[in-house]
Amino acid sequence: MSTLAETAARGQARRRMRVDGWRWSGRIFLVFMLLYTALPMIWMLLTSIKSGFAAMQFPPQWWPDEPTLASYQKLLDPQNSVGQDFLRFFWNSLYVSTATTILSVIVAVPAAYAFSRFTFPGRNFLFFAVLLRNMFPAVIFLVPLFILMRAIGLVNTHGSLILTYLTFGLPLAIWLLKGFYDNIPVQLEQAARIDGATRFQAFILIVMPLSAPGIIATAIYSFIGAWNEYIYAYTFLSKNEQLTLPVGIQRFFSENTTDFPGLMAASFIMSVPVVVLFLVLQRYFVRALTEGAVKH
Amino acid sequence: MTIVTGKTEARGRLQPGGSGLLRRIWEHRADYAYVLPAMAVMLIVIAYPIYYTVELSFFNTPPGLQLRDKIFVGVDNYTAILSSEIFWKVTSNTLIWTLASTFISFALGFACALALHRDFVGRGVLRAILIIPWVISAVAASYIWKWIYHSDFGIIGAVLVGLGWADRPPNFIDSVSTVLPSLIVVNIWREFPFAMIMMMAGLQTVPEQLLRAAKVDGANAWQRFWHVTFPHLRNVSTVTILLLAVANFNSFIIPWIMTGGGPSNASHIWITHIYELAFGRQRWGVASAYSVLLFLILMMFGYFYVRALSGNERKDGSV
Repeated sequence: MSTLAETAARGQARRRMRVDGWRWSGRIFLVFMLLYTALPMIWMLLTSIKSGFAAMQFPPQWWPDEPTLASYQKLLDPQNSVGQDFLRFFWNSLYVSTATTILSVIVAVPAAYAFSRFTFPGRNFLFFAVLLRNMFPAVIFLVPLFILMRAIGLVNTHGSLILTYLTFGLPLAIWLLKGFYDNIPVQLEQAARIDGATRFQAFILIVMPLSAPGIIATAIYSFIGAWNEYIYAYTFLSKNEQLTLPVGIQRFFSENTTDFPGLMAASFIMSVPVVVLFLVLQRYFVRALTEGAVKH
Repeated sequence: MTIVTGKTEARGRLQPGGSGLLRRIWEHRADYAYVLPAMAVMLIVIAYPIYYTVELSFFNTPPGLQLRDKIFVGVDNYTAILSSEIFWKVTSNTLIWTLASTFISFALGFACALALHRDFVGRGVLRAILIIPWVISAVAASYIWKWIYHSDFGIIGAVLVGLGWADRPPNFIDSVSTVLPSLIVVNIWREFPFAMIMMMAGLQTVPEQLLRAAKVDGANAWQRFWHVTFPHLRNVSTVTILLLAVANFNSFIIPWIMTGGGPSNASHIWITHIYELAFGRQRWGVASAYSVLLFLILMMFGYFYVRALSGNERKDGSV
């Protein structure tokens, strides 16, 4: 009896050890991933509060001897030329991203609704044609779009960027929103129809409010995509006063590649709006993003 | 007799209110109004560029000439590409880049999702921090890592020297042998959070009862993962890997900003090479031919993508 109990106890202990082993390797792994993820960002922040001279030392100052906000002041000061340029890039990015977001939502909402609810001929073909856009890299479309934009007089305007950003914002927006509409019971609309609403009224009054989280998620996605876009802005715009942030900071620092604190400060400021937006609204975003992929 | 009947039927089909496809389209005419704006945008900005790229791939623009002075050269651009040495270099780079980035990002993201699945103090904060690299701009990421790899003042080099593992900081991205792996590390840094998000969502769909039942039946943690959890994640894994593969295949910003494809083409992948051919060397025809080849390869990816997604499509009725 006692030996049996002992064996059972030993077996249990071994099992507990194995469970603990899994849990511990999981924790060690997470610590490793945390370091991999966070250290580059911490190093960006630490460099951004060094002077140009302090950044250029070997071995590096791990913690800045004399932390300074000079780089940030320079970038955000509308009185000097650096600040003027940088702030203009910032507003350009904000303008282009906001316009793209609003237009994406306006165009994608009805399309996604139709793909979710109606069975018109060609529905599947059109839906997958839209999804296929995600397959193609920006570079393939660059030359012809550049020529197209020149033909319709949009080169060197923010309009060319907004129109182009719509093309890669729309497919994902339609996909995200369709996932949301699929989950809203059709019966709700049918009830409204019975009460005398037209299909369009049912859509506006019943479905739209229910899909608000999906619309928020779609808006974040469009905004982040447009805010971070580089290739088209790099190719379509040539005048300094039109540049968006990703291209702007590149022009900026390609002339003066030694100003790493300035470059890191600019990278940080550029990252703040999208990271804040994402962290505040990530619940909606993550749900929308994964909805289509996890269904069985 | 039969011929006559056939004719009447054919005529009938052309009229709205007749039978067949046109009639169905006509009946659903109101539905198209919803998708029309989206389709119009897509048509102008996607269909036209694809047509133009295919056309341009059969032409050449000698240096100094404008695009409108293009000369028809048939399939010369294609044969030139396939017989050039750089094509094979760039193709092998692209394969290494795509496969390594995709599978390591996926493995790390999946492992993070598993480790984060159990609730513990600080899980939300940890998850948020792990996601940030995916949200910030690739341009900012490229500059951050360029600074980290810097051959004089880079922090990794300083650590290696400090530990006595190197006499002087290595040239991570200035050396042919290390540049591609160094860029892949950056790319994975940016992409594993995407896999993590997808797999976390997938894990939530694994039925708890099944896991508990397996436990009662004496399955250990590994067996429960392999026989219960993993089969449930097949769908989401396929979609995630495909999306990662396509995104990696189409990467541009990280290699372009960090190295521009150098040194000696060691970090050129298809996309950066196409960009350089077109906008750097004005070789529009060759660049277009490359784009068409790329297009065909991506259509293949697209086939699998659509198939994977169709598996998930719900068959639900219309209003």
